[in-house]
Amino acid sequence: MDDLQFRRAILADPKSTETDNAELLAALLEDPAKKQFAQEINLLDEKIKQALNIPVPDNLCDKLILRQTLASHQVQKRKTRVHLALAASVAILGGLLFNFMQFSSAYTSLGDYALAHVYHEETYFANNSKDRVTLTSLNQKMAAFDGNFNESLGKLLFADYCRFDGMKSLHLVFQGKTSPVTVFVVPKNDQLNFTAKFDDNNLYGESLGFKHANVIIVGDKNESLEQWQQNISSNIAWTI
Amino acid sequence: MMTKQVRYEALVKALHGDLYRYAYWLCHEKQVAEDLVQETFLRAWRALDSLKDEKAAKSWLITILRRENARRFERKRFEMSEYEEATITDTKAISNEQNIENDWLREKIAQLPPEYSEPLVLQVLGGFSGDDIANMLNLNKNTVMTRLFRARNQLKDALAAEPKTKGVYNG
Repeated sequence: MDDLQFRRAILADPKSTETDNAELLAALLEDPAKKQFAQEINLLDEKIKQALNIPVPDNLCDKLILRQTLASHQVQKRKTRVHLALAASVAILGGLLFNFMQFSSAYTSLGDYALAHVYHEETYFANNSKDRVTLTSLNQKMAAFDGNFNESLGKLLFADYCRFDGMKSLHLVFQGKTSPVTVFVVPKNDQLNFTAKFDDNNLYGESLGFKHANVIIVGDKNESLEQWQQNISSNIAWTI
Repeated sequence: MMTKQVRYEALVKALHGDLYRYAYWLCHEKQVAEDLVQETFLRAWRALDSLKDEKAAKSWLITILRRENARRFERKRFEMSEYEEATITDTKAISNEQNIENDWLREKIAQLPPEYSEPLVLQVLGGFSGDDIANMLNLNKNTVMTRLFRARNQLKDALAAEPKTKGVYNG
């Protein structure tokens, strides 16, 4: 190994004298000048190493861990925000669905609903009940529908507002021949189809369309609904 | 099984010093070096799962740091000052002869062209072999060895002409 080669090898990697590069080691043993050169360069390397070893800021380590902790915390926060948004969307959908189920009408016609309503409240009213509602209090209630009864239609057992498929309506119960006769005064709306006549096994009913409201009469088969219809038509007066 | 967090903290503790020094010799500014190290470790955290071999951690981090440093130049770069970069190295610790020499040598190293100083730092500080350095810098081994040779040769020559005192020569 000539001098130049040796110098190149040592300068390129002073540590190579520590490895078992036979050629290099032989050259070292052969020539004291080479050995000295290697030692000098090793010394230089030591100096270089010390020079390169600049002080590291004390808190750098902590800073690094802190930044990472903050960064991963932010990622987590972003994730929880997404989860929250998903949960909110599901909740809103659920709410809408519930609303839809709750308030959309299960009945398609006035008649069907009227019959269901009557059956639902059948037990509350007895035909021989002694309760009476006066014409004045009836007309007070009718005022909400801009209507007025000129004279009493019969024995009025009950008169009050009630929900008729979500609409505010007037529910009247009269004494009938064998069972109570129910009269609904319902504001006009498009949700339920107007059915002039309807019936089932026990009850039947008729609807009267007035300008402001529909009047629905439901009674059992013994009742002459035509009579009732006529009475109502001639008795009722709409204010506007 | 270590958690990701524990692995990360171990990595930071073991290697942040080496990485900071490497960054410093890459950019010659303390603040920039610190930022680079921070960016590097943040990236390392995100990609920690891709680090399979813990032994390769150091070269992996240095590769990230070099990319990060290159990215610094892609962005708009503001000139920090008109001073020569070499003159703003650490000049505070002047207490003994060793430090004076260190200072002086630091200046010389900082004045080396980056393509010479980088392999030198990797070899002396990082303890990497010529093959490793060649891999990291995408050079072939002969080129790396030549640059190492030239770097040391320049430093040796400079050292031979070293002035014995430091500072301003007044009368």
